[in-house]
Amino acid sequence: MTAHAAVPPIIEVDRVSKSFGDFKVLDELSFSVAPAEKLALIGPSGSGKTTILRILMTLESIDSGHIRIEGEELYHMEKGGRLVPADEAHLHRMRAKIGMVFQLFNLFPHMCVLDNVTLAPVLTKGVAKEAAKRRAMELLDMVGLADKAKAMPAQLSGGQKQRVAIARALALEPRIMLFDEVTSALDPELVEEVLAVMHRLARETDMTMLLVTHEMGFAHDFADRVMFFDRGRIVEQGPPSEIFTNPREERTQGFLRKIIAAGHRI
Amino acid sequence: MDYSGYIALILQGAVVTAQLTVMGCALALVMAFVAGLGRLSRFGAVRALATAYIEFFRGTSVFVQLFWAYFVLPLLGVELTPLQAGVLALGLNVGAYGAEVVRGAVQSIGKEQREACVALNLTRFQAMRHVVLPQAIVPMLPTFGNNAIELLKATAIVSLISISDMTFQAQVMRAQTGSTLVPFATIMVIYFLFALAISGAIRALERRLTRGLDGVRA
Repeated sequence: MTAHAAVPPIIEVDRVSKSFGDFKVLDELSFSVAPAEKLALIGPSGSGKTTILRILMTLESIDSGHIRIEGEELYHMEKGGRLVPADEAHLHRMRAKIGMVFQLFNLFPHMCVLDNVTLAPVLTKGVAKEAAKRRAMELLDMVGLADKAKAMPAQLSGGQKQRVAIARALALEPRIMLFDEVTSALDPELVEEVLAVMHRLARETDMTMLLVTHEMGFAHDFADRVMFFDRGRIVEQGPPSEIFTNPREERTQGFLRKIIAAGHRI
Repeated sequence: MDYSGYIALILQGAVVTAQLTVMGCALALVMAFVAGLGRLSRFGAVRALATAYIEFFRGTSVFVQLFWAYFVLPLLGVELTPLQAGVLALGLNVGAYGAEVVRGAVQSIGKEQREACVALNLTRFQAMRHVVLPQAIVPMLPTFGNNAIELLKATAIVSLISISDMTFQAQVMRAQTGSTLVPFATIMVIYFLFALAISGAIRALERRLTRGLDGVRA
């Protein structure tokens, strides 16, 4: 690990494989993430980077391998001295450690902003309604949307929706946050407001953050480490200064050239 | 000729028809959710049971079902009053149609909503109760309105097991006065007004539930 060599990893991905039909998305993938590390996953579409986040959030199962969160198996549990597939109760316990923000926000359209943020803490952590509301207002204030608490999602812009989605995920106080192309669906002028919130989170919290993105400039500023993926494998990884300015692998160089040619800045 | 006594009889019948409709709809609604959600269950046995119920009650005539409820069940030791038999047959029959409406509407709620629920660590039940069903109710409503009106009209068959509903009273009047036009014109108007009331109620409910969702759904 780059920065925290002595600390045990918060996420360990251990020889994980995953196929969709004949298509092998992840091929014996192994890596680990240190607590509080900010990790950016980059690579061409179809390289498996989003699948990794989805697997960590248990939205997608794995075909083989192991994932450990804080040393504990995600998809397996111990029963009679053997590892067996995890049941719902185990998955619920594990999911409590992880939060995710989606490309298309996935807000609940039938609830106001405030209810979107308070629903899960009240239901899953037994937080009292009033306390959940107070906390939600703090979070909405942090993402700059305290005045939209009573608005319905349909009344918000894409950037505002995504900031609500971030507040909603934070309300559960996860140790690990997954950001899946959170600015890809936004109009260019709305990207900044979302990135600013994420920058602030990265600076002010010790949450572990995994980020799949095509915003190379943001990945550069935000991440402690960048991983370049291609065809379900890690091609190259290292600190952003290294990967972006001096990539060793030809495929990384080719990918970055294409991204720059497409008008993205680094 | 003075029909007022007969018209009063028909109005009494209308009350019975309204009772049958309300109770039948209540049972149908319960069955629609039980069987509709049952078809989406993780458990094969529950799915099979729900499917069997739906196929059986959609695939046999409500008329036959009514006769079973009233004349055959007593032979098996289950005695029902005519009203109970009527509500049972109508509710189970229309509930089978409603179940498919529930299933379709629940399935129409996008995968991304369920994924958000997983990411927020809701249980399956919590996700269904707080996220999926509140959104799925809206697309269910128009078809539920149709089903309720179908049930209203189907109540006419209960006159066959001697319930004095509106149609039964109209036939009494026709037999005793020889007039066909007056009783059947009267009940036609009343059935129509009942149906109108159902459509109106459904539309009001739809408006209420879609408030704030503008731009989300057509």
